[in-house]
Amino acid sequence: MTRTLDTALLRAHAVGDLAALVALYHEAAMQAEDEDCAGFYLTHAYVFALERGDARSDLLRAELVRLGRDSIAPPEAAPNAA
Amino acid sequence: MTVIDPILADVQKPTSQARGLPNAHYTDPDKFAEERDALFGAGWAGLAVASDVPETGDAVPITFLDIPLLLIRGRDNVVRVFQNICRHRGMILVEAPRRIEGAIRCPYHSWCYSTRGQLVATPHVGGPGFNTHSDLDRSTLGLIEVRSHVWRDVVWVNMSGNAPAFEEAMADVIARWSDFEQPMHHGGTDSQFTLTVESNWKLAVENYCESYHLPWVHPGLNSYSRLEDHYNIEIDGLTSGQGTLVYRQLTGKAGQRFADFTGLDDKWEAGAEYLAIYPNVLLGVHRDHAFAIVLRPDGPTRTQEHVHLYYATADTDAELRETNARQWKEVFEEDIFVVEGMQRGRRAPGFDGGRFSPAMDGPTHCFHRWAATRIAQRRASA
Repeated sequence: MTRTLDTALLRAHAVGDLAALVALYHEAAMQAEDEDCAGFYLTHAYVFALERGDARSDLLRAELVRLGRDSIAPPEAAPNAA
Repeated sequence: MTVIDPILADVQKPTSQARGLPNAHYTDPDKFAEERDALFGAGWAGLAVASDVPETGDAVPITFLDIPLLLIRGRDNVVRVFQNICRHRGMILVEAPRRIEGAIRCPYHSWCYSTRGQLVATPHVGGPGFNTHSDLDRSTLGLIEVRSHVWRDVVWVNMSGNAPAFEEAMADVIARWSDFEQPMHHGGTDSQFTLTVESNWKLAVENYCESYHLPWVHPGLNSYSRLEDHYNIEIDGLTSGQGTLVYRQLTGKAGQRFADFTGLDDKWEAGAEYLAIYPNVLLGVHRDHAFAIVLRPDGPTRTQEHVHLYYATADTDAELRETNARQWKEVFEEDIFVVEGMQRGRRAPGFDGGRFSPAMDGPTHCFHRWAATRIAQRRASA
């Protein structure tokens, strides 16, 4: 993770900017040098997306499932399901 | 063999011979804990009102009888009550009222729950970056739901989970007020207030359900609502209270009044009733408005009274609404010195629970009798 990205993440954590946290952790995952590192950052992006009811959570989860790091959620368990 | 507590047996005698619950039931933390299970846990108790969570995702943490609960309106618009703890390490999930936009994220290890209570994410539970583990079945680890039911906007909870269905348990009172089974609208922020009284919760019930004190504590009512215009209501094991035959509608400066509820029987033209639904909900109905008071005990010697006013229509005159709320607040504030005075009186060792007026105190004794019976049943089953 670059110092710039690290600084931005700390700032987003400090102010509780969930949208920024989703984007920044996703960016960190994209920059990761190995799959374990990517899985870690993707997990954080996914959790903050879930918390804010962000539509990106579906894509992030799908990516985690593809990497064998999460399970497919039953439809009724999705927090945004009606 | 069941041992009958002679004091509780005295409480259960006919009103003319009975005495009230003794001091310890108003001051002793051990008795408070016993009553939590016997009086609140076993049946249906009032927790809050659904209007506390008007929008989907609204969540309000409530410590009820020392138990951390979470009142939440789910994405499916259903109001539910959960224990406000994460299934992982028991961390408190929601610290202050707020809107849940997506999932409830535990602030400790970020386990996430849907607004309907399902566990939807367990980050790193299988190791860094691995969010599942074969030994951990999310479907069995949703939030612990507390059985609940909404009636007259009050969110009732059954902590034991095994009380009869709400409609069955409350059938008599629902039938009594069947005329009022129709939409009612919370008056909004200017139609709710909270009073904190330094008193055991039962004294607030006892004072509410009798009219005996009205001419002395609420002299302002004497001008049109005399003692003889009231009648007692007692339904054993469920509720007691009072009714009036001379309810007079509030009229504004321009002659405006609140709209009536529709299709009411003629008896409600000048009638109104006030019921204490055991253990802790105080309700009132009138032709043009209603109220609900949820009593939340804060230990044996302090109680919060959450008062909410309702109307037949969503759109009501603001000035009239404000006047109505102010007048009710004045009445309820007039009661504070008596419930707090009776509480201080419970420190007098010579007080034996007191005697009841056979003519006037039936509703109060009905409540005592219910409490004593439930406590005795609890002890017998322990």
